[in-house]
Amino acid sequence: MAHTDKKTALNQGMIIFIFLAILTALEFFIAIAMDAVPLLVIVALVKAGLVMYYYMHIYKLNAEDKGDENSYAYKTGSNRLGLWLFILSDSFVFGGLAVSRFNLLGLTRPHLDQTLGLIVTAVLLISSFFMNRAETSIAHGDRKGFLIGTTITLILGLGFLLGVVGVEWPQAIHEGVTPSSGAAGAIFFMMTGMHAFHVLTGVIFLAIILRNGARGLYSEEKHWAVEAAAVYWHFVDVVWIFFYPALYLMGTVI
Amino acid sequence: MKNMKPVWRGLLLLLIGAVVGYAVGLGLDAFIGGRIDFVAPLGGLFALLGAAVAFFLGLVGYRGITRGLVFQVIGTLVGGFFVTGIRALMGLSTFGGFFFTEPAWVFGALVGVISFLVGVGALTDWFKWAKGEETPDHHDDPEGFVKYFGVSLDHKVIGIQYTITSIVLLGVGGLFALIFRTELAASQLQFLTTTFKAFDQNGLQFYNTLMSLHGMVMIVSILLGIAGVMNYLIPMLLGAHDMAFPRLNAFSYWIAVPAAVLLLSALFLGGFDTGWTGYPPLSTRSPVGIQMFFLGVFVAGWSSILGSLNLIATTIRMRAKGMSAFRMPIFVWAAIATSIISLTATQLIGLSFQMVMFQRLFDMGFFDATRGGNPVLFQHLFWFYSHPAVYVFVLPGLGVISELLPVFARKPLFGYKWIAMSSLGIALVGFLVWAHHMFTSGMNEYLRVPFMYSTLLVAVPTGVKFFSWVATLWKGKITTPTPMLFVLGGIIVFLLGGLTGPPNATVSTDLHLHDTYFIVGHFHDTMFGGYIFPFFAALYYWFPKATGRRMSEKLGKLHFWIMTPAFLVMTLSMMRIGLLGMRRRIADYDPMLGFDLTHLITTIAGYLIFTSVVIFLYNFFRSMKHGEEAEGNLWNSRSPEWQVPSPMPVHNYDQAFEVVGEPYDYGLEGSRYVEFAKSKKGN
Repeated sequence: MAHTDKKTALNQGMIIFIFLAILTALEFFIAIAMDAVPLLVIVALVKAGLVMYYYMHIYKLNAEDKGDENSYAYKTGSNRLGLWLFILSDSFVFGGLAVSRFNLLGLTRPHLDQTLGLIVTAVLLISSFFMNRAETSIAHGDRKGFLIGTTITLILGLGFLLGVVGVEWPQAIHEGVTPSSGAAGAIFFMMTGMHAFHVLTGVIFLAIILRNGARGLYSEEKHWAVEAAAVYWHFVDVVWIFFYPALYLMGTVI
Repeated sequence: MKNMKPVWRGLLLLLIGAVVGYAVGLGLDAFIGGRIDFVAPLGGLFALLGAAVAFFLGLVGYRGITRGLVFQVIGTLVGGFFVTGIRALMGLSTFGGFFFTEPAWVFGALVGVISFLVGVGALTDWFKWAKGEETPDHHDDPEGFVKYFGVSLDHKVIGIQYTITSIVLLGVGGLFALIFRTELAASQLQFLTTTFKAFDQNGLQFYNTLMSLHGMVMIVSILLGIAGVMNYLIPMLLGAHDMAFPRLNAFSYWIAVPAAVLLLSALFLGGFDTGWTGYPPLSTRSPVGIQMFFLGVFVAGWSSILGSLNLIATTIRMRAKGMSAFRMPIFVWAAIATSIISLTATQLIGLSFQMVMFQRLFDMGFFDATRGGNPVLFQHLFWFYSHPAVYVFVLPGLGVISELLPVFARKPLFGYKWIAMSSLGIALVGFLVWAHHMFTSGMNEYLRVPFMYSTLLVAVPTGVKFFSWVATLWKGKITTPTPMLFVLGGIIVFLLGGLTGPPNATVSTDLHLHDTYFIVGHFHDTMFGGYIFPFFAALYYWFPKATGRRMSEKLGKLHFWIMTPAFLVMTLSMMRIGLLGMRRRIADYDPMLGFDLTHLITTIAGYLIFTSVVIFLYNFFRSMKHGEEAEGNLWNSRSPEWQVPSPMPVHNYDQAFEVVGEPYDYGLEGSRYVEFAKSKKGN
């Protein structure tokens, strides 16, 4: 990204965000209007593809290496590969959970608060937008933009956690969807719980880069930690892109 | 005590530690139970922990692993008391038959694992990075054998740590097997009777625990064994100075140690009776031991996942100049194939075990059919890893066979590209066969035939390997030092394992063979042929590289000639009684079935295998100091690691090498594989 100028890069992030927002609204209305699971899957795949390409920059894996084996650039290339391998591995956990959800519940879903679901989804999506701004800023040497972007992302991440664990969980329990109420409750708490755990680790990661960034440890050339935190954060968002329709939109309410 | 040899000091302290630990455990147990019980769970657990801590304290002092274990014990207690305190505040029960309640044990065990990692120092550099401090690329290791007992970033040290841990667990798992094999020598119950009592289990429960733990301890041992061989060899074979992520490498090893402790602690905390598969609903009713088992496997899984991540990244990023994909040593291909499986599929066994843990802890009804759960789901998730896992175990072994055959046949490896691709083929097909373990489980019937065909498909890439091995041997100038003997033995045993596979893959015959000793015989054939024999071959072959000395040929051959016939007798007997109707995993059988004698022969063969492994262990540890010196290219290999003196220098190659030819052109005149640069590496 360092080759394009900062304004273009930020605008691109904005355009992708608008696309994602439209698609999220679209899937919400599809789910209200009709029973179209394949369509929801396609929308989720498109959203995930957009995030992975434009926010997580998966194409960088293919980038040509600069410098010799001991240089920062070459090591960053290795680190990037390692992080993506980790993401591949981790996605099998979430894949397994999704498979379990459809095995146990089929095309039914627990009764959940739709407004709240849409709000937390929007919060996570917006946080991805600001994460992208933060990373783009530091890649162009703009430390202030980076700090502002990371701070907003961190707050939104905490907001998401509060929304899911602090509001949605008690509300679901109040409605009778508890961990022990049956397969639907169990799978709901397992999926959101596993995702929330990943959000929590992401928040910790963000706090670390925020502190180190405030001390001026990252520069235009050397900011692997920021890139890693960003890619991980977007990955957590990608997981939610699939979990949100799987839990809130697909199938009929039991 | 200062003047004693460290080993003797360690062993002396081991005894003291065991006694002290036992007393502490009995005391705690009496405190809760109100009376002294000499076979109480805590007595055994604390005796084990006390012995381990004291042994390492005597051996290397309070550092590295000693500190880690102390931290783990303290961490477990702190975590346990924390949950107990919360439970007390909530008005729930606070102490149970195993001192802590189940949630307290689980939380304590998790805190214990993290404490171990902090104590041993595997997280130190990462904490520094998080604080924004810089650390040197590599830390210097202390001199002497002490470096093997603390965190080292050198892949060779880590490889040896893995290998030794694996051998220790191999011994433990083997001992478990010997105990229950002895019980099986004759029909009726002899010593594991209903009046037998140990760690809150009667004889039959104890049999179940040993049988289950034998399975999982051996699996972890194998995972550590292949990780050891791969860790030690891959960077050397690639011409790299280390793995891509040295700290992650150390972390992957050190997280396996507390995992092993957890796994063994299951023996004392009531054990479990599910077998290594841990199927619900039985596993939701087992004693608390099963939680330790689940957690141990979960944590050991992370070791496997992160190790394979590191290995793939190393192979992609750190190859020597000129080493294109099809000029890599064949073992590297096998390691890549194995790593692809363990990187991804391992998560699924972790997930399935986690779900049972949560069902027990939070009453989440994933596998409870009365609440809409589905026990068969567990089997799908579980076998999605656990079938490919056997390819994780055997692929590196088959890689070792392919690597060593040309050296001792003095001929090019036949069909290099086919072998390389067959490893990947086995790995990929391996993802699509899991449900052949479930033909009798009550899963949807239409799944049976597709899974039967996909399973039979595995025979194709495996057959490619066999044809290539035979063609490589054909008209070769074969010599048979110990490593080659184990390679040939491995081929024969694996062939037997391979041929007994299709009857289990075919639905019609599997319905008869399922859960019989035929499966047990088949499985041990594949594991010995695909892992144990090649693992021993690799140890005999690369031992001089690691130590600069070689192991005794005489004892090595004795080891081979006792183990191989005994092993063949053992598995063929197992298959025979299996066909006659002996079920697996049971402690007793009907004398009227008429195979008492075959069981006796199996047990005797088992003891012979044990004897041969004891000979190996003596040879192994003795040769480290007293073996014949062997510093040069002992086996006349073309591989780069043998072109430099043994033992290997700290940063591997002083001069970088370039690959200029094919790796296995043995016997072809004027062919070269690697060429070392004339000048020193510029650093």
